[in-house]
Amino acid sequence: MSTIAKIRRRDFLKISGITGTGLILGFGISAHAKENITTHFEPNAFLKIGSDNSILIFAKNPEIGQGVKTSLPMIIAEELEVDWDKTEVVQALLDPRLGAQFAGGSTAVKMNWQTLRNAGATAKHMLIAAASTEWRLPENECYAENGTVKNKRNKKVLTYGQLAERASRLDVPQEVKLKDSKDFKIIGTAKKGVDNHKIVTGTAEFGIDARKEGMLVAVIEKCPVYGGKVTGYDDSEAMKVEGVRHVVKIDPLNPVDRIAGVAVVADNTWAAIKGRKVLKVNWEYGDGADENSESITARFREYVNKKGRIDLRNEGDVDAIFDNSAKVNEAIYEVPFLSHVPMEPMNYCADVREEECHLWGPTQVPGSVQRLAESITGIPRDKITVHMTRVGGGFGRRLMADYAADAITISHALKSPVQVVWSREDDIHHDYFRPAGMYKLKAALDERNKLVAWELKASTTSRYLFREADQSPHVTEVFPDGFPAGFVPNFRMEYTPVKTVVPTGAWRAPGHNATAFIDQSFIDEMAYVADKDPVDFRLEVLGEEDREMPYSDHGGPTYSTKRLKNVIRLAAEKSEWRSKKKGTYKGFAAHFMFGAYVAEVVSISMNAKNLPQIEEIWAVVDCGIVINRSGAEAQIEGGIIDGLGATIFGEVTIAGGMAAQSNFDTYRMIRMHDAPKINIHLVESNEAPEGLGEMSLPVISAAYTNAIFAATGKRIRKLPVQLSEISS
Amino acid sequence: MADFTLNINQRSYNVHVSPDTPLLWVLRDAIGLKGTKFGCGKALCGACTVHLDGNAIRSCSLPVSAVKGKIVTIEGLSENGDHPLQEAWKEIDVPQCGYCQVGQIMSAAALLARKPQPSDEDIDTAMSGNICRCGTYPRIKKAIIMAAAKGGAK
Ligand code: FES
Ligand code: FES
Repeated sequence: MSTIAKIRRRDFLKISGITGTGLILGFGISAHAKENITTHFEPNAFLKIGSDNSILIFAKNPEIGQGVKTSLPMIIAEELEVDWDKTEVVQALLDPRLGAQFAGGSTAVKMNWQTLRNAGATAKHMLIAAASTEWRLPENECYAENGTVKNKRNKKVLTYGQLAERASRLDVPQEVKLKDSKDFKIIGTAKKGVDNHKIVTGTAEFGIDARKEGMLVAVIEKCPVYGGKVTGYDDSEAMKVEGVRHVVKIDPLNPVDRIAGVAVVADNTWAAIKGRKVLKVNWEYGDGADENSESITARFREYVNKKGRIDLRNEGDVDAIFDNSAKVNEAIYEVPFLSHVPMEPMNYCADVREEECHLWGPTQVPGSVQRLAESITGIPRDKITVHMTRVGGGFGRRLMADYAADAITISHALKSPVQVVWSREDDIHHDYFRPAGMYKLKAALDERNKLVAWELKASTTSRYLFREADQSPHVTEVFPDGFPAGFVPNFRMEYTPVKTVVPTGAWRAPGHNATAFIDQSFIDEMAYVADKDPVDFRLEVLGEEDREMPYSDHGGPTYSTKRLKNVIRLAAEKSEWRSKKKGTYKGFAAHFMFGAYVAEVVSISMNAKNLPQIEEIWAVVDCGIVINRSGAEAQIEGGIIDGLGATIFGEVTIAGGMAAQSNFDTYRMIRMHDAPKINIHLVESNEAPEGLGEMSLPVISAAYTNAIFAATGKRIRKLPVQLSEISS
Repeated sequence: MADFTLNINQRSYNVHVSPDTPLLWVLRDAIGLKGTKFGCGKALCGACTVHLDGNAIRSCSLPVSAVKGKIVTIEGLSENGDHPLQEAWKEIDVPQCGYCQVGQIMSAAALLARKPQPSDEDIDTAMSGNICRCGTYPRIKKAIIMAAAKGGAK
């Protein structure tokens, strides 16, 4: 073997150069820099093979609990043809060579599937080519197996480590052949989380665990009323608290990444918390102080009872049908604001220096954090290093980088590393809530009890309207192409967004977490009006013929009724929907979102207090090819429990322009004793894989409340479920 | 500020902190044992659970001046991260985001020490103070049952 000199990563980047985004293959390194002969074969930014046979795979995206730190490297390892247990997964930095790096919309698997397969296959191909030259055998007589290359002529074997140096001198092939899915050995199996050992021993690094030399801790008193301002403050008592170093006023950056407040900065967290308790701030609350849940609901009610501002869909003649049909049903549904409450409260650590900046913390959008840091500090992006820690839950909250902006601003002002830590109260008060909304539905049956007209008038607070601070009507809080659109000849959908100072944002399965509840509840209502079985009624509306339905929102451009009907039928079968057991009642719901198909059944009984008790849940999911079976099942199970918790307990109310809830005593969460038994069935599929972080959540609300209806005849149209209404 | 001597994971630590500092922040900030997590600060979520003389307590709500007894944190639960619960947690693949899991394990460990063969109800009760927003409860329960079956009291 030739002499080997290690090169540092930084040198490598200098040599290979960083250009644009996407998969940049950094070869040519040896050709251009003969003196640097690496011990590593690093054909692209996704992996690195050492002459010591080490196989490093870089996890590109933030790990927020959705399992991508395991599932994305599995895709690379599959094509690379290595033993999964011999690979080491390392969290990547924010790095333009890796393409878009974020956690949102359950997109990671779908977006990176081809790229990651290519990255693994390219490396494998080059290792095979290296062996073929070494052996002077044609490439097609050499093949990869378990981190080695073998050949069909003799028993010679070269490990990837032995081939690393030679492979690193080869040209990068433009096109490589990918594996046939029937040959997958890793994809589709159940692999355990790569950080499990660290997590169970308390050594996994979450954002809040960042500790830097000379780091100060900041807590921030923010205006309790949304949109308020600081008019003055008195820090004389706060500065007397031992350990408190600075008190800093922070002005709002803009209405979204807002940071108006006063920060108490101290040597440690407790000193900062204590200092904040005695800090006096004067606020100008502004108009926000008049906002409350009642006034918002009154606007919803006004809007759903008149023509909506935005026409989303209008087919046939809904009014004529309603006027002439004997079987018309009408109902109003309501959903509340929800808080994200990931278990790790908002925090961020920034070390802003003169000419460079290092950042650590939990975020779903490291790229946005980098852009914010650039705009706050003026330091160019290539001098801003974003380190991705594990993230203690995202659920959409950490698509906003407001708390990171806090840390960057304070570190920039004080010229020292600063970690911002929010309390749970801050976390709830200054959340970007799931939008609240009201939905008026009306539908009609013809004389054969077929669904012939459907109308939805929706009014919700809008995360788009909130963000943009103007009246531009983005409308995807509702989905004009979602079921039953396209199946009912007379169909109308109107929408009116409500502007409010209450911050709203994306909350796990945005939009769908409300629309699946209302659509799947009301279709159930119509099944009962039609006197048909709720499963049969859904299948009847979907029709016998298999169709590709146009779908303009995320998850489109089309969805397949064949796959939707399949999950519906399978869920009915697995749950023994048609067998009636005395004392148990079942509810059904099914939905398409983000490219995946989900059907769920909830079985309940009524307990001695005449309250619903969940006996069992079944979920059937078609998300195409499953990457990690264990991770997939965990996401489905977790999503159902999370959704159930929101259905039963979740509610933020607004009073005097602030959230009335502040911690887990007033914002209740589902706990172990409420978590039911869940049976999961993943549909075998060769379709392209979809993500899974959000899809199981939306349908659970309706499946549960439909079961309550089956048991009690009471239709739950407002969340969270008011148990007093059921038992009365 | 005052000096305190704490017995943590069978080691003695001297800290110089304000007497009202919750044990949680003493562990995390003064001593650097960061496995114990902050979740609510009000004894409502269980993320900060440690053992005080074998009982699961919420370290966010116990001032350091009130600490009398031996403390065990996740870092001291087992020598090599191989407590039967830790093994079961890995085997069942419990963690999602993972943030709550240290607290969950510490609550479960106190339960098994007290009751090596807990009933379903015992588990529900002992774990009712620990929130998991990711919804890992079914796997947590499976892991506790697995650890108990393997003699999880340790
Ligand atoms: S942080 Fe102590 S119980 Fe939540
Ligand atoms: S694993 Fe995320 S909160 Fe429990």
